[in-house]
Amino acid sequence: MPATVIREDGAYHSFCGLTCVGWLYQKIKDSFFLVLGTHTCAHLLQNVLGVMIFARPRFGVALIEEADLSKQQPELDRIIDEIVADHHPSVIFLLSSCTPEVMKVEFDGLARAVSRPDLPVLFVPASGLDYTFSQAEDSVLQALLPFCPIASPDDRRVVFLGSVNDAIADDFRTEAARLGIPVAGFLPESHFHDLPPIGSGTVIAPLQPYLAKVAGRLARERGATVVSSLFPFGPDGTRVFWEDVAAAMGIAVDLRERERQAWERLEPHLEILRGKKVFFTADNLMELPLARFLKHAGCTILECSSPYINRKFHARELEALDGVRVVEQPNFDRQLRDIQELRPDLVISNLATTNPLVGHGVVAKWSTEFSFMPIHGWSGAATLAGMFTRPLKRHAQLDPLMDDPLWVAGLMPAR
Amino acid sequence: MRLALWMYQGTAHHGVGRIANSMRGVHAVFHAPQGDDYVNPIFTMLERTPDFPRMTTSIVSGRDLAQGTVRLPETLRAVDAQVHPDLIVVCASCSTILLQEDLERMARSAGTKADVLVYDANPYRMQEVRSADGLLTTLVQRFARPQAPLPTPSVNILGPASLGFHNRSDLICLRRMLATLGVQINVVAPLGASIHDLERLPAAWATIAPYRELGQNAARWLEDQFGIPALTDAPIGVQPTLRWLRRLVETLNETGARLQRLSTPLRLPPLTAFSLDGMSAPSSVPWFARTADMESYSMKRAFVFGDATHTVGMVKFLRDELGMQIAGAGTYLEEEAEWVYQELKEYLPPDDSGSPKSSFLVTDVFQHVARRIADLSPELVCGTQMERHACRKLDIPCLVIAPPTHIENHLLSYRPVLGFDGADVLADAVYTTATLGMEKHLIDMFGDAGLDYDEPRTGEPRTENQELRVENRASASGHPEAGVSVGAAEPSAAPSRSVVTEESNRATTPSSSTVHPVWTPDAQAMLKKIPFFVRGRVQKNVERYAMQHGYATITAEVLVEAREALGG
Repeated sequence: MPATVIREDGAYHSFCGLTCVGWLYQKIKDSFFLVLGTHTCAHLLQNVLGVMIFARPRFGVALIEEADLSKQQPELDRIIDEIVADHHPSVIFLLSSCTPEVMKVEFDGLARAVSRPDLPVLFVPASGLDYTFSQAEDSVLQALLPFCPIASPDDRRVVFLGSVNDAIADDFRTEAARLGIPVAGFLPESHFHDLPPIGSGTVIAPLQPYLAKVAGRLARERGATVVSSLFPFGPDGTRVFWEDVAAAMGIAVDLRERERQAWERLEPHLEILRGKKVFFTADNLMELPLARFLKHAGCTILECSSPYINRKFHARELEALDGVRVVEQPNFDRQLRDIQELRPDLVISNLATTNPLVGHGVVAKWSTEFSFMPIHGWSGAATLAGMFTRPLKRHAQLDPLMDDPLWVAGLMPAR
Repeated sequence: MRLALWMYQGTAHHGVGRIANSMRGVHAVFHAPQGDDYVNPIFTMLERTPDFPRMTTSIVSGRDLAQGTVRLPETLRAVDAQVHPDLIVVCASCSTILLQEDLERMARSAGTKADVLVYDANPYRMQEVRSADGLLTTLVQRFARPQAPLPTPSVNILGPASLGFHNRSDLICLRRMLATLGVQINVVAPLGASIHDLERLPAAWATIAPYRELGQNAARWLEDQFGIPALTDAPIGVQPTLRWLRRLVETLNETGARLQRLSTPLRLPPLTAFSLDGMSAPSSVPWFARTADMESYSMKRAFVFGDATHTVGMVKFLRDELGMQIAGAGTYLEEEAEWVYQELKEYLPPDDSGSPKSSFLVTDVFQHVARRIADLSPELVCGTQMERHACRKLDIPCLVIAPPTHIENHLLSYRPVLGFDGADVLADAVYTTATLGMEKHLIDMFGDAGLDYDEPRTGEPRTENQELRVENRASASGHPEAGVSVGAAEPSAAPSRSVVTEESNRATTPSSSTVHPVWTPDAQAMLKKIPFFVRGRVQKNVERYAMQHGYATITAEVLVEAREALGG
């Protein structure tokens, strides 16, 4: 029985799709991410990414100013020249944002018009009117799809779907080799020209839970087989993931002993996690597999909510979450009341809400950190478990001074 | 249309959020797509707010637009019911303003208990600073009520705000100085003020508004409307603080005389009363600046770039109180540029025609500021978080003196910019940021003094020890690119190796070459003997000299000639 998904309306604390630039520009090393947007988009990128990133950015905003509002189609050639001169990218991703969407800019045509023979400019729908946070990675991968060579039907190899860092990618290659699974590559790879061939013999193994649309297109347009499994987070998810990928390749493997050992190694974390009440407010679209891992680790999941849930792409995760309250597009005000009433031991929440929740006496953790940590596969299991136990240990270790409002006096005039 | 990498100011709606989050009982509602909620974590992360910032995004989605759904009235009712604010300020976003909806009508239809103000913050016409200042002025005009003045000397403080640069420390400093003077504080706004406090503004004897960016328009309006004198100087540095204190005392005495409320005039107490222990010098800067320790700083040239208040204050402080030299200055606030220029023109180095204009930079394009810094290669940059980015690549010491800031600029300790305490904080920051004095002499004297670790000399195998030091350096600064940035000051990798005769070298007519000169290997070897932290500047100066004198190639002779001519 899959968990029933309750649909609400009112998840107003999250980011728009532009945020995916934060990790994708680092992942695809010869790319440039150009947002057609306003001062708002630039300020967002600076404050959501700028606070974390110091390196020379390979992203920027083609700034729509007042005079540009009346123009039919934006003039991007000069900006592309500047990017080429400074960065020499192999590919430019042109991201849409709210204002040009309202202006009804015709992005497909625009991207084609500014593409150059040696430099494709690819349209990526990412505006906050329609896309949340990590969801725009789905758009980026769809834009890359035509550049994956077509594999011959007898090319029976696996392509891993979703951006992970190079170390995790190496782990997945190593593990695949160990199980006798041939690998064609990753979508995306670190370089634009290294995209893997995909054809009707290809088995697609999704690594990230926010890529439902590109997975569907790979099946429809290339005839590839998309593995429906758990996502490879935690010993439970990793075991099922590899068994299903192997099965799709016609290889039978039994990894139950491996899973048991992996859980055993996590015992110090499990001692802390067992019986803890955890609440997920929605944010980065990784909530379903994270909650499923915690459930199997012995936690009680009070609520698992996510901005978007795809009943097909997330089918196995929803099955594994049977009995858990699962909410799509949750109403944050209702969640706040529930949190006050149910007193969870741990809340996984958005960057905007975490410190205020801590101020309300809740142990809360930034969900965004899960997007940037190596938590996939067997090797990521300890990191993943540690992400949940660290805030619990840390708060237990500190003196319970926070019960006295004295210690936040003067910090916030409106309080 | 231009390519923007980093922005100096936030958006208009961020300015609205800053005012709302500063106040009690005021809540901002943004009629905007969900992405515009990104301003919320700026408060919860940089200011680490222990409660939800006083702003809510009333979501507009693509589907809403298609179906004609409008959520604003419902959001207003929800905010009204949950937060019980006295006032809700509504504004549109850069995308929803294009829809040309009647927000007034939508807001009225909500029927909230709270008063609702639809603030017309057009994001294409104003950014954070003007939006915040405009809203504060609007609120003061809307709520200030005529009333009798307080019986004792009292002031309003307008300007301190949420996410203002070191504003909480500045406010502590102002409170300390006013307490020492025996002056009562009537209202501080926007930080901590409710709309009922705004009503009481006209009861004060004077208004202090130290920041050009926020509060001075409201202060001037109070002056025009109610005759409350406005003090708009910023007490940055020791002498400006002294002048500010004297003017404040004078102003309050004049008001007291006019109101016939002051039997004995206010007097400035002995200045030791302003020190933390009440018995020492109020600031250590005047003595510190005269110590031998600071001798080498008189050689250092600084470039200052930021908002209006801090740029002007810092330039004056560096030259007048620390004895440093000013290489140039600028601001990203175009509407304040003329004021900044008038304040600083005596401080800016003139060009060949005697005009200081060319050393004054007005731009909000990050790349232009970075280029100016690279051209000047100053020994110290006082700027914003973005100048720190630029300086890190150039290996130039940089100190953040104005917003935008980084989490590292939101420290816990008392670090004011204003007043005597602020002067000490600024002097310490300059001292610990710039390369020290005696250490530098030692390096100048003995070449690399063992510190030239960025690359091994040719023909010599790289020792493990040297490599280790390079790694340490990169990891100590915490930024992998730091190790690279030293190399970035080097001449470009492969200069022309062709042997150039004296004749062919000076091929063009003097002072007409615009071609970037190339370095011969022998000149390059000499350049490498120059200490690494000044090498970039020497290289630039020599290249400029070569171009001015028509040398296409920099040989050892040209280098010596240039160094003689340029004096170093």
